Amino acid sequence: MDHIDQILRIHSALSTFWWILLGLFFVIYIVLDGADLGAGVFSLLLKNENDRAAIMASMAGTWDANETWLVVAGGVIFGAFPLVYGSTFNYLMIPLMFALWGIISRAVAFEFHVHAKGSRKFWGLMFGLGSLIAAFFAGIALGATLLGFPMSTKNAQGITSSADPFANTVPHFSGNALSFLSPFSIWTGIGAVIAGGLAGTLYLCARFKQEDPIYQKAHAWATGFSYLALLAVVITLVWSYAIMPDAAKWTGSGWFGWLVLLLAILFSAYKMMTAHAAHRDFPALLWCGLIVVLMWGGMWATNYPYIVPQTWTIDAGGNPANDLAILTLFMTGFVPVMIMYNAYQLWVFRHRITHLAGYESH
Amino acid sequence: MIIENTLPIMLSRLDFAFITSMHILWTPVTIGMSWLLFFLEVAWLRSGNEKWYRLQRFFEKLFIVNFGAGVATGVTMEMAFGILYGPFSQAVGPFFGNILGFETITAFMYEAGFIGLMIFGWGKIGKGMHAFATFNVALSSSLSAMWILVANGWMQSPRGVVLKDGLFQVTNWWNAIFNPNFDIGFPHMWIATLELSLFFFAAVSAWFILKNRNADLFTTLLKPTLLALVVITPLQIFLGDELGREVAADQPTSLAAMEGHYHTYLPNGKFNTGWHIIAIPNSKNDGNVFAITIPHVLSLLETHTLNGKVTGLDHFAYKDRPDVWVPFYAFRAMVAIGFFLFFMALWGNWLRLQGQLNAAGLRRHPWFLRLLVLSGFLPYLAVWTGWWTREIGRQPWVVYGLMRTWQGVSHMGVTAESAWFIGYITFELMVWGGAWYFFSRIIQKGPDLTSPVIGSAPSENAGGGLAQASFAKPTFGKPTLEKNR
Repeated sequence: MDHIDQILRIHSALSTFWWILLGLFFVIYIVLDGADLGAGVFSLLLKNENDRAAIMASMAGTWDANETWLVVAGGVIFGAFPLVYGSTFNYLMIPLMFALWGIISRAVAFEFHVHAKGSRKFWGLMFGLGSLIAAFFAGIALGATLLGFPMSTKNAQGITSSADPFANTVPHFSGNALSFLSPFSIWTGIGAVIAGGLAGTLYLCARFKQEDPIYQKAHAWATGFSYLALLAVVITLVWSYAIMPDAAKWTGSGWFGWLVLLLAILFSAYKMMTAHAAHRDFPALLWCGLIVVLMWGGMWATNYPYIVPQTWTIDAGGNPANDLAILTLFMTGFVPVMIMYNAYQLWVFRHRITHLAGYESH
Repeated sequence: MIIENTLPIMLSRLDFAFITSMHILWTPVTIGMSWLLFFLEVAWLRSGNEKWYRLQRFFEKLFIVNFGAGVATGVTMEMAFGILYGPFSQAVGPFFGNILGFETITAFMYEAGFIGLMIFGWGKIGKGMHAFATFNVALSSSLSAMWILVANGWMQSPRGVVLKDGLFQVTNWWNAIFNPNFDIGFPHMWIATLELSLFFFAAVSAWFILKNRNADLFTTLLKPTLLALVVITPLQIFLGDELGREVAADQPTSLAAMEGHYHTYLPNGKFNTGWHIIAIPNSKNDGNVFAITIPHVLSLLETHTLNGKVTGLDHFAYKDRPDVWVPFYAFRAMVAIGFFLFFMALWGNWLRLQGQLNAAGLRRHPWFLRLLVLSGFLPYLAVWTGWWTREIGRQPWVVYGLMRTWQGVSHMGVTAESAWFIGYITFELMVWGGAWYFFSRIIQKGPDLTSPVIGSAPSENAGGGLAQASFAKPTFGKPTLEKNR
């Protein structure tokens, strides 16, 4: 039937559109909140509670919006790809649970730390540990997603009933609570902490005055993190190529494009490290962001046509065409608006501060 | 026993009930108080009177402590649908998922994009821009409440969908969004946020007046607060009654559970019109062991006639009946609080008519002030009990009449569910305890009356960065304010 064909094409086009936007939201989240989480991890290395407070003060006005890009990404998965949302999040229950506890600890530490007296050390620790745990388990969740998961159309709780209209329709997650756990997913968790550490220290370099002690410590650590991150990238790429079927396209007929992407990543890494060494802090941070964008884009393209490799294709996971059309019509216009007011907020809080900011309370 | 009360399903319900109950402790203040803070800011900008500024900055400190907790628990909510109720999320994805997507894009992010400017933007952006930021936080958090009530209202009275291939496919967006439960449920919840926030203001003010600290400043705040409450509290009772009637028409099992109403007919064949003050349901869930009953009141409440028919639980199969205990008593607690708060609003305005609404006059009525402090806590309990009534009354359905709760539960075992439950009890109680501890610290410290008013003197290192001259000019400051800059 011709019109069914047309609807399927509309469905495919719209779900691919939202798949691209989803990638955009995720990458914005990783660039922005990755730096915040990494700065939190770095804060664990500081001894003075006021220095930790200064790091918290540096992101006081922006952390919430940065973190909310994750919520937007989650909302878009729910809105555009509910079948993926309802099975993948079920699969990722344990790592997401820990990541959320990290996010909770960190979020309240922001508000409590400035008012605390006796419990100041505790909330400082909650901020640092919360950041570490959120980054580590988010990394695990990503690695686990890349490996895919088993599904079944039976009732998820194993309850059979003859009158169940939901049985044998939509596939649900069917592994167990620890299915997410694998050497690769643990490695991606570690990789996320390393990448966060790099982004966080580069961010702190761009936010603190260059003569400030926090700047100097962050600058030294950023150099170390950049070598670690380079190593981590190489390990991840080789490992992924070895175990992920979709990675075979890297050496397939389109190898030239992938090579260009790799060279662009290496060039950006080189520019980032030279800018960092020359104390051009903001360019270094931007180059770091570009690396994340390139790598994330590469990962997204590698997974195509899957949204969850070997588990959900973009088409199969998407909402019916009518819903995607509604979502597209009403929500697309907000995307540039969201980006604009976020950019304005980041711009307002762009000025460099010193460690003295940690001595204030509001 | 119905499937919903067996172990893995019951535990998944408790998992979700706990995180939602803890989340709703924070959002009403975010939604309601952001409007009040905006009004205070406008009052300051228009009058140039510093006291509104001092009050704004003081309550803003409480607001941000509350806000952090609200966001932290809200991020959990956004993911918990997929984690704990994966199959539900998939089935309702075409409608419910879309609405949650709308919420994150048009509300959650909108709010986050301006909260930083509102809290830490003082002195960095112009006064007009700042007031605009506060307004946006208020509007966005109300939008958020709207979308959530669209989604939840649809679970109570699903409209505009057909179930096909395991998905609730939308056939009519208008009917699905403006479902009958949302139409009254959203105003009821939104007014609740204002009522809670106004009583928050009133309770804090009463405490200061009682302690004779900044009594004049807080009396100034108490006057408009009580005036607003005398409108808001009866309006809320009216909306509650309307919602009750909607539930009676749309969700008869929920209403019957709320009223412990088991028998549609009396043994003599007439309609059972009795309303129970107290009831003890039996373990078979088919009658009350004991009840104190007033005839005619139930029919009067639900049908606005003396002898109207109200369908009882005996009209429905056992497997379609919700438990009665929680809806019955939670509903009564909510209603009692609603009337008590109305009484407090009347009392306060009566004192005003007597010319007693000043610091000295109010201290002659310490019991009014004490009960007003108590009234700061009661709306929280009313919000809790209201939502428990709503959510437990809907059982055993997750989407009323269309999807049973057990059909929506994720693939997970008792161990994982217990880990979630215990972990969230730990973390959310830490958040709760911490927030209330810091609320009390901030309140004990009292408003800051000495630091220079923002815009009157340059402040170094304020908030999150070096305070530079802002590039945004004040847009509606009056000449008297311009002089201060």
